[in-house]
Amino acid sequence: MSLPTDAAPGPAIPLARWTQRQLDAMGTAHGVTFPDGATLMGERGSNGGYVIAGRTSAGLGGSRLMPTRDGGWFALTLIRDVDRELLPALFGEADVDGDDWNAIAAAVLRHDCADLVATGRTLGLPVASADETPASPPTEVLLRGERRERPAGHRPLVVDLSAIWAGPLAGHLLWQTGMEVVKVESPTRPDLIRRDDPATFDRINQGKASLLVDFARDAEKAALVALIRRADVVIESSRPRALRHLGIDAEALVREVPGLVWLSVTGHGACGEAANWVGIGNDCGVAGGLSRAMADLTGEIGYVGDAIADPLTGITAAREGLAAYRSGAAQRIGLSMSAITARALAEERAHDRAEIDAELRAWGSSVGGPFPYAAPRPLHAEVRPIGADTARYLGEPAQC
Amino acid sequence: MKPGTRLKSAACDTEVMVIRAADGQIECGGSPMGEAKPAEAAPLAADFSAGTLMGKRYVDADGKYELLCVKPGKGSLSVDGTALVVKDAKPLPASD
Repeated sequence: MSLPTDAAPGPAIPLARWTQRQLDAMGTAHGVTFPDGATLMGERGSNGGYVIAGRTSAGLGGSRLMPTRDGGWFALTLIRDVDRELLPALFGEADVDGDDWNAIAAAVLRHDCADLVATGRTLGLPVASADETPASPPTEVLLRGERRERPAGHRPLVVDLSAIWAGPLAGHLLWQTGMEVVKVESPTRPDLIRRDDPATFDRINQGKASLLVDFARDAEKAALVALIRRADVVIESSRPRALRHLGIDAEALVREVPGLVWLSVTGHGACGEAANWVGIGNDCGVAGGLSRAMADLTGEIGYVGDAIADPLTGITAAREGLAAYRSGAAQRIGLSMSAITARALAEERAHDRAEIDAELRAWGSSVGGPFPYAAPRPLHAEVRPIGADTARYLGEPAQC
Repeated sequence: MKPGTRLKSAACDTEVMVIRAADGQIECGGSPMGEAKPAEAAPLAADFSAGTLMGKRYVDADGKYELLCVKPGKGSLSVDGTALVVKDAKPLPASD
């Protein structure tokens, strides 16, 4: 990795100006100065020394864009071994080698794009078509509850059950407004970027208290629900049945706890069939139309940015969450990463079509080059060791 | 049975997608599953009525069979009369 002073500037990250406008509006409304949009979108790629890799996603390269029999482009993200086991079912072929991207691409070319997307979503795989229309609105209020009047000087409590990037970034921005944020992980399912990308983890989780909750233990689940009942904001990114399985009923809590703002971060929507689909930053960027937009300008398709739907969604979730908190009314807000990407692109085109087109062209012609450099943000608070604050928030674990 | 085949229960609402299978008879609620639903529902056998859960993967002890539940129901899954069990949960969230 080169030293900062040697780093090539790299192309601007498309949609960074859109995120800057969101951050400026949010900062003005709440009297806070947030980090700049290009930094929030690019710090992971810059920290990791990522290369712009075209049809392979940047970084670990877990997502690929592949042509289909009918001339479409199919995005598939394979970052979980359990997902590779599903590939024979995706292709209807018993002998597909799930560890060989060449074999996977050959199988993709034997199918039509829409069939692969439909079967992939039934199987719970993170998949997308470059030509799909997002199934849900970018944000929607799914349920409203009662208002809560808060005393002056009340410090809001945020319970962050999410992982990786979008949800934790939302929590990070709420922390920057002065809220108390509690990050919850389970011993069997810790946030993997704590281990895989500590530089990014530290930046978006600094200052948060860290709780470990063993969801196999009823007493610990009950203590977490009690904590949520005195919280002001909850952030989660689980499918509905997974949340229910953990003993957390979002709808009941929003109905029962006045003023509770519940942010459900999803790939493709929080209600209906789409609530069961899986979506991750890179494939959701494809589903939001960014790769197609770049291909239309350059003739070459590829991923735009690094897991771009994640920072776009994290910033949107914070903005929605702050506005909802200020309104005082309990509500559950669904956020769709694919639709938020599509909306950001549409708004940016309306704002300055020539500039976003120039940025997409520049990104497409930078394949093989480094990610734009973003100066590492200094840390302003401690990064708590995992579980360090469990007893303080949930009490001592019951003896069994 | 080809991977990717969608099978329906004769005894309840359960539907599964085949991830891996050998030549045995795949059953739900004690009755054979098929690609089409029979005109008349089969009775739900008491021994196979624990229910299926959406999104769970069900396996046999030898690793020859794996079924993904894509629609839940009251019956439970078996192969040639031997019950399948839930495979361990996935280690990552649904979206990031």
